[in-house]
Amino acid sequence: MSDMPAPEELRFSDSLTELESIVSALESGQLDLEDSLERYERGVALLRACQSKLAEAEQRVTMLMGELEQDEDTPADE
Amino acid sequence: MSDAPRALSVTEAMTLAKRTLESVPLRVVGEVSEFTDKAGYKAIYFTIGDGSSVMPCLIWRDAYLASGLELRCGMLVEVRGALTVYPPKGRMQFQVRSIQAAGEGALRMKVAQLARQLEAEGLMRAERKRPLTEFPDRIALVTSPRGKAIHDVIRTLRRRYPVAELLIAGVAVEGGNAVASIVEGLRAAGEAGADVVILARGGGSYEDLMPFNEEPVARAVAACPVPVVTGIGHEPDISIADMVADLRASTPTAAAEAVAPSCDEVTGRLEALQRLLGRGLLHAARDAERRVAVLRSHAVFRDPKALTAIAAQRLDAAAAGLPRALPERLRRDRERLAAAESRMAAAADRSLERATDAAARFAARLSDLSPLGILSRGYAVCYAEDGRRVVRSAAELAAGDRLKVRLHEGAAACLVESVDTKGTPHV
Repeated sequence: MSDMPAPEELRFSDSLTELESIVSALESGQLDLEDSLERYERGVALLRACQSKLAEAEQRVTMLMGELEQDEDTPADE
Repeated sequence: MSDAPRALSVTEAMTLAKRTLESVPLRVVGEVSEFTDKAGYKAIYFTIGDGSSVMPCLIWRDAYLASGLELRCGMLVEVRGALTVYPPKGRMQFQVRSIQAAGEGALRMKVAQLARQLEAEGLMRAERKRPLTEFPDRIALVTSPRGKAIHDVIRTLRRRYPVAELLIAGVAVEGGNAVASIVEGLRAAGEAGADVVILARGGGSYEDLMPFNEEPVARAVAACPVPVVTGIGHEPDISIADMVADLRASTPTAAAEAVAPSCDEVTGRLEALQRLLGRGLLHAARDAERRVAVLRSHAVFRDPKALTAIAAQRLDAAAAGLPRALPERLRRDRERLAAAESRMAAAADRSLERATDAAARFAARLSDLSPLGILSRGYAVCYAEDGRRVVRSAAELAAGDRLKVRLHEGAAACLVESVDTKGTPHV
């Protein structure tokens, strides 16, 4: 597991996908105890990362073309 | 200076214009693009156009009723009357004395023909429609950088799913270069590595919508490497871009809602995954516990000496038979045997210890995840009156039902006053 990227560095969707695969591996009952624990710990870390990303997320807007005209309800710094 | 025309008041100027315009009777053919028939209004207001110009029209209600015509957008009509000016607003409009249909709208016929051609090519087939990523990391938006549509989408996504990065291609959606600009925007969105593309436009007249009915735009939508969701606000008309898109939403806001889940949904999903994770570990722990129990009952662990007992007896027999033969060798064998015995016992202890440690770590984890732990955070579980069946939806309830609500500490018997089945379930 040490070669896995840190949960904070993963894209949100990748974290969720990995989390789902951990859950199904745990549910399969094919893992030994050490492996189960290791995956569980990884799962908890991913879960925490997802939850904090969700709680702290601030929308990032990038202009590919053109210039965004601001309107009064959408301040630029948000 | 005295023979120069004197300066007119605005009213005089407008009256002059009105009189001049009204003196020229006209017959005009055009396609109806906007149409307002509000009960209580004395006149019906509509706009006719030909793709490059538009002309606002009004017809008195009795003249409209007399025509027997039922106006709708896209209809090609011939109107008779004269241009006039409405001085209070300085607005020029065509006052219609009579109106008649002039056949199918030419624009619509052209659009319908392109639709048929693209359909025959299979561009609108259901199996071409790609499913959307459930949790997009990057959402591209191709729309005008001005106006309401872009801010509707930005706001909706910020509220629902700020986790995703929003890539915006600000394009012209009206005018001569709209088609090329939209095509370029779709290409840029596809290249930028978006998971999904929203093609949006606020409401407008049928003519305003025309770029979305052009073949190059339709082909760019079809060729986009990731799914395209349209939010082109022009009910009830459906543009060709809508037909070719992977998903059609009725407005820019609806398109934004379609491409991403809401944070509430994601939070619910994460909570479900957390429960499943705990349950998965519990399975693994129970399985390990069972295996340890089997091992524990095994003869080797009950009496580690059993493994060496036979060898020890044989050695004793040999020793008895050969008391003097190999005293030194015999002593060494006895020592090795004793060492093996104690290693065996130690190994057995260690395995049991390891398994016990692991079980203790599980116990600590599991207490974090127990449903009672969740209750301590302020959640409650709602049971039916029997106290066994968990109520998950208000649809299972009726006013007057009795419920049992399990709290972190204690429980309460409750009576349902009213039921509201609205509200999206999480997960």
